[in-house]
Amino acid sequence: MQKNNSSSPQTDKSLLARRRFLRNLGLLGATAVSSFTLLEVKAREQKANTTGAVTAEKRWGLLIDTSKCSSGCDACVRGCNEEHGIENEGNDATRAQWIRKIDLKDKLTGSESSVPVMCQHCDSAPCVDVCPTGASFKRADGIVLVNKHTCIGCRYCMMACPYKARSFIHETLTNQKPAAPRGKGTVESCTLCVHRVDRSEDLQPACAVACTDEAHSAILFGDLNDPQSKLATKMKEIGASQVRADLQLNTGVRYHGL
Amino acid sequence: MLRSLATVTHRTIVSVLCAVMLITTAGFWFAGAVAQPVIVPAFKGEQCVADTNLMRSDHMKLLDHQRDDTVIDGVRGAPYSLIGCVDCHAQRSDSGAAIRVDAEGQFCQSCHAYAAVKIDCFSCHAAVPEQARQIGLLPDNPMPHAEINRVMSLLKSTDYHAKEQQFFTTN
Repeated sequence: MQKNNSSSPQTDKSLLARRRFLRNLGLLGATAVSSFTLLEVKAREQKANTTGAVTAEKRWGLLIDTSKCSSGCDACVRGCNEEHGIENEGNDATRAQWIRKIDLKDKLTGSESSVPVMCQHCDSAPCVDVCPTGASFKRADGIVLVNKHTCIGCRYCMMACPYKARSFIHETLTNQKPAAPRGKGTVESCTLCVHRVDRSEDLQPACAVACTDEAHSAILFGDLNDPQSKLATKMKEIGASQVRADLQLNTGVRYHGL
Repeated sequence: MLRSLATVTHRTIVSVLCAVMLITTAGFWFAGAVAQPVIVPAFKGEQCVADTNLMRSDHMKLLDHQRDDTVIDGVRGAPYSLIGCVDCHAQRSDSGAAIRVDAEGQFCQSCHAYAAVKIDCFSCHAAVPEQARQIGLLPDNPMPHAEINRVMSLLKSTDYHAKEQQFFTTN
């Protein structure tokens, strides 16, 4: 061993050469990888520009002002049901619910509030993590959806969701709306009215429109990433919190006054 | 006696076998008798989104490709949409109501019945155009709410075709 380690001028030189070769190889690899990544990012950007694909530039979200939401009003639920053709199909235990109206009461203070709870469009969504087929996914703009073409109806996502936001369709459906395909054997939830939002940002989700029509204006839709957006400025002004913020899911739906 | 009985049994077996073969392969011998599909011309529109032969052979490839773009990447308004198919190809009954494209003898179903391919699309997707869509409310052309209500009330009141005419002439 010692004999091998003893350095002669010859071995020193070849060792150095080898080190230099390895270092250069590493540098070359790093350059290649980083330039490929850059190219890929650029290609994706270009694809988004030419095809109109959504990007992470925007992140859609909702601000729900609970001080404006009144108990007993279910305009948002009705608006949502009408928009997506959700009828009173099936029985009470299995009926699809994209929005649930929940009445809360603080036992200590006795203060009451009423809130609509729908898919919270989490940034790190548990439903996406557990889906075995990749059907539950998050769009680049933060909207969490079910790709019903690949959903196998296993309902893992329903188990994983802390907000009980998803429904499973148990019965054969008829009279679906063109913009809202729904069918037996798949899981579904609030889509943040993706078909409206993709058409125009001014077309607010159906729940927000219904709430405004009812003169409550408790639901505000907008871009969470843009500090100048109506949503972001309002959030900064009145403050908003997440439901179960302890789970650190970074929800897209925020509540004021909870 | 024994020999003749054996011959009879043998003959019977052979003839029964022949009959069974003829019956089981009847579909093959009389294939020409299956009725050709009746392809109903589109209810509206003059030109399909692609050449007829391409549409016949590859409509699912076009639809599948665009479906992924739309669902996952949010690409809207591309030409090969299922809503677009239904929009043009759904026929109207005498009463003016839209007929499902997957109903017997209708555009999708007549070919699919002939080819013995089950259509899965319409267990989830709408097989008739939406009322508002019938008068040209396409995704790229959103109408103000008041206008939609006006048109919807027109449609509900009486005959669809007459009202469509009225709508297009007044606008």
